[in-house]
Amino acid sequence: MSKQISEEEYKKRMFVRLKQWISGEKDPYLGNVEIVPQREYVPDQKRAERYRRDRDRVFARAYDTQHNRFYRFFMRFYKVAALLCCLALVTILLVEVSYLPPIGSDSNPSSNEVSAKYIEDGLQDTGAVNIVTGMILDYRAFDTFGESNVLFIATCTVLILLRNDKKKGKGSAEEEEKRDSYYEPKNDSILQVVSAVLVPIIIIFGIYVILNGHLSPGGGFSGGAIIGAGLILYLNAFGFEKTERFFTEKTYKWISFCALTFYCLAKSYSFYTGAHHLESGIPLGTPGAIISSGLILPLNICVGMVVACTMYAFFALFRKGGF
Amino acid sequence: MEILKWTQFTLGTLMLLCGILIFIVQILGVYKFKYVLNRMHAAAIGDTLGIGISLVGLMILSGWNFTTLKLGLVVVFLWCSSPVSSHLISRLEAVTDPNIDRYCEVQEEIRQILDDENKAQKEEE
Repeated sequence: MSKQISEEEYKKRMFVRLKQWISGEKDPYLGNVEIVPQREYVPDQKRAERYRRDRDRVFARAYDTQHNRFYRFFMRFYKVAALLCCLALVTILLVEVSYLPPIGSDSNPSSNEVSAKYIEDGLQDTGAVNIVTGMILDYRAFDTFGESNVLFIATCTVLILLRNDKKKGKGSAEEEEKRDSYYEPKNDSILQVVSAVLVPIIIIFGIYVILNGHLSPGGGFSGGAIIGAGLILYLNAFGFEKTERFFTEKTYKWISFCALTFYCLAKSYSFYTGAHHLESGIPLGTPGAIISSGLILPLNICVGMVVACTMYAFFALFRKGGF
Repeated sequence: MEILKWTQFTLGTLMLLCGILIFIVQILGVYKFKYVLNRMHAAAIGDTLGIGISLVGLMILSGWNFTTLKLGLVVVFLWCSSPVSSHLISRLEAVTDPNIDRYCEVQEEIRQILDDENKAQKEEE
């Protein structure tokens, strides 16, 4: 191979200089770039050894692998069984998929009369301009009730796992230093000023989204998430002392309990009286007005409260291990 | 009227392209730099300038209606919030990194303030 140009000339070309600039070797003005090269990751030999030793010890002591013949057999069998289970599951799912109807076929469940009915009669049956809200909070309200309950149960589970007991651990400096939030900037004045302006706006916007759930895109879940984000911002700016004045574990419990119970009772009543097409005594109002569409507005408020409380509770639990 | 429409279209598209260019610079910077503060500087460019120019382009394209007002409110919200988040990240880095003067110059007064803050926080806990 012959060289068509000399090396010095080659280095002066635009393309080479661009490549050098992108890969961070050279800066067009400063020469070599000032960035300190990243240190290489060196795995900690000691820690890995300790981990291995601990693991061996646990297996020897807790499961007694030397004498427990059944467990030794189980350990050998376990990997094979896991592989077999996975393969069986994959096969079953693939076979099931092959039975699905082809995309776009006329007889598919996705193009039967249900969706057409929702679109045609949705406004008349539910009184909600937003068909999606009419579907999830009227036709399929029990499904949404289950979703709200799932959120509540998830918070309970996190509470069981992460809750900090007040008796032990709290107060000692070493325990405090282990927590992630220890090094977080506290009482940052810039954040405080900005959040003092933003938090009321965010919460009002969330309330707007919830109350307009049956008129415009939005509803309980999205509005509740917005309110929860506003509460989290407030907590980050001003700390737990300020939020505990209006939101404690007790508040969370009562709000969730009342919202879920009201939801359950209201929807049970409407199903007891025969869902739709029968007289339930709940006026639907004029479509388009704020107070209209029967039960959808109160149910939206319930869902919004549950979601907002759940978001805040998750954050508080992960941050501090309590409210 | 026709000319007005064409100017609106060209202006809006130019703004959007500018925004996209700034986003490209941001992504290049985020992947090119190695140190937190450098990377965060690059990321903050896109969060403020890139988003701002793109949304102004969209405002011009959408014309004079309610959507424009909403987009303007989005710009105000982002310009309030994203510099604050960048500030918080940089402050966390400055407080927690004991070897920060290996990467950038730290003036003596600022170092004093950081040390005091560290101590005050430890006493407060």
